[in-house]
Amino acid sequence: MNKSRWTRLLMAGMVAVLSVGLLAACGSDKETLHIYSWADNFDPEVLKDFEEKFDVKVTYDNYANNEDLLAKIKAGGSGYDLIQPSDYMVKTMIESELLEPLEMNNIPNFVNITDTFKDPSYDPGNKYSIVYTSGVTGIAYNKKYVKDEIKSWGDLWNPEYKGKVLLLDDNREMIGMALKKQGKSNSSKDEAEIIAASDELKTLLPNVLAFDTDNIKQKMIQEEGWIATVWSGDAAFIAAENPDVAYVVPEEGATIFSDNYAIPKGAKNKELAEKFINFMLEPEVSAKNYEFIGYSNPNTKAMEFHSEEYRANTMINLTEEELRRTEWLDNVGDSLSIYDRLWTELKSGR
Amino acid sequence: MRKSRFLLTPVLLWLSLFLIVPMLIVVGISFLSRDSLGNIVFSFSLEGYKTFFDPLYLGIYWDTLVLSLLTTVICLLVSYPLAYYIANASPRIQTWGLILITVPFWINFLIRTYAWVLLLRTQGVVNSLLLWVGWIDEPIQMLYTYGAVLLGMVYNFIPFMVLPIYVALEQMDKRLLDAASDLGASRWKAFRHITLPQSKSGIMTGAVLVYVSTSGMFVVTDILGGAKSSMISNIIQSQFLGARNWPFGAALSVIFVATSLVLILLFNRAMQARHQRVGEGR
Repeated sequence: MNKSRWTRLLMAGMVAVLSVGLLAACGSDKETLHIYSWADNFDPEVLKDFEEKFDVKVTYDNYANNEDLLAKIKAGGSGYDLIQPSDYMVKTMIESELLEPLEMNNIPNFVNITDTFKDPSYDPGNKYSIVYTSGVTGIAYNKKYVKDEIKSWGDLWNPEYKGKVLLLDDNREMIGMALKKQGKSNSSKDEAEIIAASDELKTLLPNVLAFDTDNIKQKMIQEEGWIATVWSGDAAFIAAENPDVAYVVPEEGATIFSDNYAIPKGAKNKELAEKFINFMLEPEVSAKNYEFIGYSNPNTKAMEFHSEEYRANTMINLTEEELRRTEWLDNVGDSLSIYDRLWTELKSGR
Repeated sequence: MRKSRFLLTPVLLWLSLFLIVPMLIVVGISFLSRDSLGNIVFSFSLEGYKTFFDPLYLGIYWDTLVLSLLTTVICLLVSYPLAYYIANASPRIQTWGLILITVPFWINFLIRTYAWVLLLRTQGVVNSLLLWVGWIDEPIQMLYTYGAVLLGMVYNFIPFMVLPIYVALEQMDKRLLDAASDLGASRWKAFRHITLPQSKSGIMTGAVLVYVSTSGMFVVTDILGGAKSSMISNIIQSQFLGARNWPFGAALSVIFVATSLVLILLFNRAMQARHQRVGEGR
């Protein structure tokens, strides 16, 4: 019958669509660097330059958060040569023995890194990692709707912003923010302090429009939300699309974070990965790359190659004074389960 | 006989390798402990199961059940008339009906869900239209609400309900209806005693498909609900990733699969019992 033929055709179509995703592309015999990093974290042209200069191939896969990265590397056999964990994840991965020590002789350009980001607390002596970019979690707000001057985390609680506040969907970041507001460390392990912070966050709920990490940029650009907790680099991205958006590092202090170069244990092309890191730290290459990604560049020698626009951007280049107010997130060990439970309570409104 | 059993080998291999073995691993992990870095420690523990009986997690599970059942009921109410209409229409309309229902599902699930964001957001299509017509003075907050989540769920799973019911109705012997009408049954009576029982298998298949898909869903609450409510799958996901508590995540998965199976069995039995009673009454 006519219609059953159609049904079969429709079904076949569905199956076909499903299986397209399963077809993997084949590789070539060139030496290949397998990168696993955040989305849009490199200028594709710079990757191409690297491929041409060293006659190699680069593959680039994405993850959405550090935990995905950890799960994949922990499972083993991922085949990646270069990863970009954030600060606290570098520490976790070192403790879990998931990283290869870097051979600094292959990375002479390391000297170009600013002293501020050398020898970080999460990897003393840069044995396993080199900073790639950094930022601070602050407040972005749209001046069209937010008329008051914003300078404190407490401003998020303003009843005028009811249903217009966006928060990061991240328990450590947000409970850490409330801890900062109360003058505590963002990585407190004191149960009473964590509970007090979470209780105060609960009183913010009526103002909250949504929790989002990946798409908070779009929600601010589209003016769904008026005021939000965002990473400084994302704030720069938002402001480029929507000039009404301003950014501030609140006076109580804030969380600083970095993404880093690291090599997972058992990487097949460790030397090539080190060559890549060194290449990326060359001043001109570095300037080209960071102009594209719009995040802050820790390479002191690259500044002269950057555009006037980039150097003048206060969301990309935070001041010394702003950076002094910041604190790294540290691993909280078993207290993580307290953070997780309170966050679940908070989000389910119980 | 032996030959036909041989034909099952590929599927049995596939199932044991990719379904049974992973399930057993999950069950195994659910009885273990972990260290503070999140690594699995091989010592027996019931901590994961104990944690589930915390009112917090029980409450989230209850919310998940309510949302899934609500979605299933709404899907049924929308899909039955639609499937009935298509099954009784001319072949041309049947073809087009099936195309219209199936084709959107060739598009990626996430893209379809994000399309709703474009429609529902404050500066989206629906609000702009309502403002332009003058029915509202300022945009309505439709996105990031419970209603938006429910809408997203129902929208995404309607075909799972329509297609099985359509198949059941389409295969029904239409002469039974003529017979009923000849014997003086009203159209409603004929529907109740002939069409409805005959489409029961379709309803059952559809309901189970929708219920299982909804209760295991976690992206719709994130995208359309603004991550403001959690379903049990959100909790499971966060235990395996952010919270690094695999034993608890595994225990939740085991409880989730077990309760879903029990619910489906109870549902099946209830439907069959009714079916038999109707059969005896005839």
